[in-house]
Amino acid sequence: MVSFVSKLFGNKGSKDDAKARLKLLLVHDAVDLTPAQLEAMKAEVVEVIARYVEINKEAVDFKLERADGEVALVSNVPVRRVTARAV
Amino acid sequence: MSECIVITSGKGGVGKTTTSANLGVSLARMGHKVAVVDADIGLRNLDVILGLENRIVYDLVHVIEGECRLKQALIRDKKLDTLHLLPAAQTRDKSSVTPEQMKNLIEQLKEEFDYVLVDCPAGIEQGFRNSIAGADKALIVTTPEVSAIRDADRIIGLVEAAELPEPRLVINRFRQKMVDRGDMLDKDDILEILAIPLVGIIPDHEDVIISANRGQPVAYNEESVVGEAYRRVARRLTGEPEVPYVAMEPSGFWDSVKRWMGLSAATGGV
Repeated sequence: MVSFVSKLFGNKGSKDDAKARLKLLLVHDAVDLTPAQLEAMKAEVVEVIARYVEINKEAVDFKLERADGEVALVSNVPVRRVTARAV
Repeated sequence: MSECIVITSGKGGVGKTTTSANLGVSLARMGHKVAVVDADIGLRNLDVILGLENRIVYDLVHVIEGECRLKQALIRDKKLDTLHLLPAAQTRDKSSVTPEQMKNLIEQLKEEFDYVLVDCPAGIEQGFRNSIAGADKALIVTTPEVSAIRDADRIIGLVEAAELPEPRLVINRFRQKMVDRGDMLDKDDILEILAIPLVGIIPDHEDVIISANRGQPVAYNEESVVGEAYRRVARRLTGEPEVPYVAMEPSGFWDSVKRWMGLSAATGGV
């Protein structure tokens, strides 16, 4: 009943925390980049993309993820205008 | 066609030795000739789990250093004459043995036995390297915890780098009730992260501790659900991959009601 009550109030079990922490942990174990280095890489990549298309830099999503034992760099870059600007 | 399987985990205390002992018993009960090798030199324990600690005269290091013949160091199980233990040395350390020596020893054992199970020490140093040296396959033991799964992931990488094909997973200390209320990673969560084939889920059960107290592996116990879980791992490893997993502890009435109402994260039986 405790869990029924906590569910009513929207508390989730600790499993989701475990899974989220694990995924992050394994990515960082595999890639060995500090958060600062990751941030620097993101800034450079965003800068390169911005040379070609107008993007919403604030909304750029850039992270390392893991699926099926492989690490992937997953990024979502919202483009404002597709027309290429002069380099 | 003999086969050497190393039982490893990275993290200590997740149940490598218990798994080694129970798989040894299970395979031997099926009629296979089995040798279980304690590779944890300096911290031996497989002898205790098997209840054979009083029979040790010679150990693995004696064999490797030529102080005795392999046959002299092998200890026959109390109940099963198809099961033998090669104990680790207690007063030496991991550097007493090289991977090359270990490989030769395993080759010798494979001439005598159908299955050679190597109980690997915790860690990723020399004890681990010795343990995988002669192995054909690897079994990874983990528990549904962040730390154990993290280490399992690291070990899987090392095992694959050593070109041991397709490591397989045993999830130990599984608690269905905690999974039902969303407080423990479920098998699918773990498989999604580790991405290797599963060959066993072992319920967390007091029978394991009682068996260890007595020095009689739980796989001997016909009544025990944990014993049955281990026996099924042995069957899955020997060409019956479709054997179902044991039913975990039955969920309580409220768990069933909540699941029916869609309030629980439970996904039913495992």
